[in-house]
Amino acid sequence: MRWGLAVVLAVASIGPAMAQSITVRDAFDRSVTLPAPPQRIIPIFASNVEIVASLGLADRIVGIEAYTRYPREVLDRPLVGGRLGFSVDAVTALQPDLVVVTPSRQAANQLIDPMERIGVPIMVLLQRSVPEILDNIRLMGRVAGVSGRGEEVVARFQARLDAVKRKVEGQPAPSTIMITGRLGNGLMLVAREGTYTGDAIRLAGARFALPGTAMLAQVSPEAILNADPDVLLWAGSERDLKELLARPGWADMRAVKGKHAHAVSRVELLIPGPRTIDGIEHLAAIFHP
Amino acid sequence: MKVWLGLGAMLLLAMIVAACAGHEWASPADLLRAIEGDQALRSRLLFDWRLPRVIAAAFVGALLGLGGTIYQGVFRNPLAEPYLLGSAGGAALGATVALLVPLALPQSWLLPLLAFAGAWGATMLVIGISRVAGAVDAAGLLLAGVAVAAILGALRSFLMLALSDETVSLQVVLSWVLGGVQTPTWAGIAVLVLITLACVALSLALARKLDVLGLGETMAVAFGLDVHRFVMLAVLAGSVIVAAAVAFGGLVAFVGLASPHVARWLVGPLHRPLLPASALVGAIVVVLADAIARAALPPAEIPLGLVTAVAGGPFFVLLLARRLRT
Repeated sequence: MRWGLAVVLAVASIGPAMAQSITVRDAFDRSVTLPAPPQRIIPIFASNVEIVASLGLADRIVGIEAYTRYPREVLDRPLVGGRLGFSVDAVTALQPDLVVVTPSRQAANQLIDPMERIGVPIMVLLQRSVPEILDNIRLMGRVAGVSGRGEEVVARFQARLDAVKRKVEGQPAPSTIMITGRLGNGLMLVAREGTYTGDAIRLAGARFALPGTAMLAQVSPEAILNADPDVLLWAGSERDLKELLARPGWADMRAVKGKHAHAVSRVELLIPGPRTIDGIEHLAAIFHP
Repeated sequence: MKVWLGLGAMLLLAMIVAACAGHEWASPADLLRAIEGDQALRSRLLFDWRLPRVIAAAFVGALLGLGGTIYQGVFRNPLAEPYLLGSAGGAALGATVALLVPLALPQSWLLPLLAFAGAWGATMLVIGISRVAGAVDAAGLLLAGVAVAAILGALRSFLMLALSDETVSLQVVLSWVLGGVQTPTWAGIAVLVLITLACVALSLALARKLDVLGLGETMAVAFGLDVHRFVMLAVLAGSVIVAAAVAFGGLVAFVGLASPHVARWLVGPLHRPLLPASALVGAIVVVLADAIARAALPPAEIPLGLVTAVAGGPFFVLLLARRLRT
């Protein structure tokens, strides 16, 4: 929320018949000016695609990156990048009037500078908390010239979050650890406080069994055994969860013995888009059945 | 003269091909239109993004060619390469700090500055260590270089682990370390031209004494050369040149090693022709390698250092085999 949603100078009408230009500040505190509502948008990463689509603007998306899997209707769009990076050439060839990026992989690094130089508006979104995701939807709505729709969508999500809050309020918060990945060296990646995933866990009414993992997201399996959380979450498939729990010692964990080890959806909790709200509802159902 | 014209023509040709190369290939006519100031998005991309990059690649290659020649001359070892004295490790550490630590300056300034400072600082550290250890000869410098490189590498790895998170991706650091020519603005190109010209002048000033040193230390002393002083001076000069190359081009493997050899085949071992020839060869190689890096695997870009390493690795083995046979 630090950068927040400082939509500063909005709407300077140039003339009665002309389109309205809009200037906003993005998550890098850059000023982004669009001469008119964008019609050819390239949202880089699944989260930004989903945000554009949640506003009913999927038909304005002209390009995506290789790891975008949802929604189905945009999957036939040309690819502008993938695991190895993002192509300035491919982006430019699509003649976009707005590029939306998140500083993950090399997207911000590879695209901001060239787009600024050739004069294509490029907006950076960060998603460090659930409110920031909602802010992004609102900002996207304003930029795309559909602020009303943006506010509507956000209000709907907010109502669902409020419902979850009412449900979990006053109930004892179980301690939890969400494992999001396993590294080759045996260490495990866990969801941390201060991220949108951590935020989702908190909003769903749980507390962190491993506090203070702010610096390194990777912890040893021993630390997880030692913390012995009330609820153990694995972001992935049931099969991989079974394999994880088959490790020596894990069956003795409180969460496993009490049948509180669950596989949860990666797309809901590891893509900072509208589906995170679904994820929070599902988590709340796990924490407070 | 024929060699020079040939090298010059090859560089020009390489630059034109490279300027056309990309995920979307351009024709020379497209290039001309862009240079004439066409305002279409694609023309602006060619003029403000692709051309500066091709030119920067040429200068980075030239600097690596110069640096490599000086190092091979100083150490009188055909396998010496510009990253020998810790500059690669230092530059990588500097770049990692620039990419991962939020500092007040904009990254487009910070990255070349810290990479330069790291590269040069690391070489100074190596020289300092070998002086303190009382081993200011080639072997002492090399050993100190290995030690410093190991320490700097470990520091960089720790920074990468500790400072990366969801918003600051390790891939950014990794791809810098694997080499990739920055795309300067046209003003940046002007700075790069000046730096390169200064480096050419600096290295040419060393040329005659490098030839003398090449005769062997005793002969060099007989010719009245203060060998220790000169080695130090030449290493200093070489490290500045390499640091400049690293600042604009990241770590580009093998070019500094290979260019002097190719140039030696063309113009012989005397440094006055060898230095500029090696610079031209380096420029041609990096321009072409950068074009491959940009065009080969759409929509991705292959790190430049990987392209030069894949081409340069076998070359290195070839050199080694030849040397062992003689």
